[in-house]
Amino acid sequence: MTPDIWLPLALTTAIETGTSAGTAIDGTEIAVWRDVAGRVHTWEDRCPHRGMKLSFGFVRGDHIACLYHGWQYDAAGQCRYIPAHPDLEVPKSICVKTWPVAEAGGMVWVWLGAGALVPAPDLPQAVALRSLYLDCPLSRVVALLEGGSPLGGAAQVDGAVARVGALVIGLQSVAPGRSALHITVAGAPTEAELTTLTHKAEALRRVAERVEAAA
Amino acid sequence: MTARLYNYDLDVDCYRVRLVASVVGLPLELVGLDVFPGHDHLTDAMLALNPARRLPVLVDGDLVLTQVPAILWHVASQAGAALVPAAPAAMLEWLSFAAGDLACATAARNASMLGQGDPVAPRAAARAALRRLDDHMVRAGIAGQGYVAGDTLTLADLALFPAFALSRDFGVDHDEFAALRLWARRVRTVPGFITMPGIPDYH
Repeated sequence: MTPDIWLPLALTTAIETGTSAGTAIDGTEIAVWRDVAGRVHTWEDRCPHRGMKLSFGFVRGDHIACLYHGWQYDAAGQCRYIPAHPDLEVPKSICVKTWPVAEAGGMVWVWLGAGALVPAPDLPQAVALRSLYLDCPLSRVVALLEGGSPLGGAAQVDGAVARVGALVIGLQSVAPGRSALHITVAGAPTEAELTTLTHKAEALRRVAERVEAAA
Repeated sequence: MTARLYNYDLDVDCYRVRLVASVVGLPLELVGLDVFPGHDHLTDAMLALNPARRLPVLVDGDLVLTQVPAILWHVASQAGAALVPAAPAAMLEWLSFAAGDLACATAARNASMLGQGDPVAPRAAARAALRRLDDHMVRAGIAGQGYVAGDTLTLADLALFPAFALSRDFGVDHDEFAALRLWARRVRTVPGFITMPGIPDYH
C-alpha cells in the first residue's frame, strides 16, 4: 500500500533536459524524463509493446521513444507513433501509466498514492550535493540519521524528508534492501564545504552497509 | 604507414581503440577476426603476435602493442597527443583504473553474454568500481570539472566510457550512478564519437 505523500526519487539537476533515467520506489520501476520544454515526467518504466524499460529510450521533443522499436509516447503517456506502421492511427488503448510529478527543493517528487493529491512539499531552493544509493533498507538509514551519523547530529525526520544542520535530505525506499538519499544543502555552501560533505556521505554509506552486512 | 589493428567488433577493448582513433582522427587498418566462435585470435600467427591470447593487437612498423593503455596512448600520440594533458598523472590514474580495477566489467559481460564463467563475483566487483568512479565524478562536478581528469576530455574518459555504457549487459543498471549518467552524456557529444554493438546510437 503506497502512502498518500509525495516521494522524492531524483535530484532535479540529475535529470537534464532531453534525458531519461530509471529508478524504483519499493520495487515499482519508474522512468523519470524531462522533455525539451523542461517539464519532468514520472511514468511506469515499461513500454506496453515488449516490456522494454522506457528509461533506456530517448527523448524527442515532448515525446519519449522506446529503445527497442521506436514507439513514441506523448507527454500524457499516449502512444502517438509506431515506426513499423507509419500510417497507422495508434489505438487509444496503447498508453503508459503516468503518475503526478513535482519539483521542489532541488528534488523531483512523485505521487504514487490513490488518495486525493495534496500540494507538493514546500521546500526552499537548495544546492544539490548528490544522490546516494545504499545497499540497506531505508529504515536502517533513517535510524542512523536519527541517532546521529557521519552527516552530523540527530536528524529530524518528517515523512520522506530528513533535516540535519543545513542538509535537507529526500528519503527513497528503492527496494526491500536498497535505499537512496537525495542530499541537498540550504543556503550558499562553499565548494570546500560541499566536498567535505561528499566524504561524509560516503562515510554514512560505509557505516550503513557495514551494519546491514552484520545484521 | 597506417597502423594495423587486429580487431573484433564485439570486443570492448577493441572498441576502446577504435573510439580513440576516431576521436583523434587517426585512420587505422582494421584486420577483422572472428573471436567468437571462430577463435581466430588463437591461430599460430596471432599467438606469435600476442601470446596473451587476446585482442586488441596494434602493429605499427616494428612496434607491436598488446596492452590497452599503451595502444591508446600510441594512437593519440600519432595524432599530435590530443587527449593527453600536459600534466598526465590524473589521466594515468584513471586510465590504469579502466584497465585494472574495471577489467572485471569485461569479465562480467563475457560471463553474462557468452557463458564464460560465473558472473556473480565480477558483477559485484564491477558495480563497486563504477560506484568509486561515480563518487569521483560527484566531486569533480562540485569542482566544476566535467571529465575524470579535469575540465577536458582525455584518454581516460574514452577508456572508462565503454564499461559504464555496457554495464546493463551484465546486470548493473545506471539508476544509482547519476553523476556517471551526466558524464557519459558529455562523452557522447565529442566530435568523432562512435558506438559499438550494445551501445545505442541516438539518431
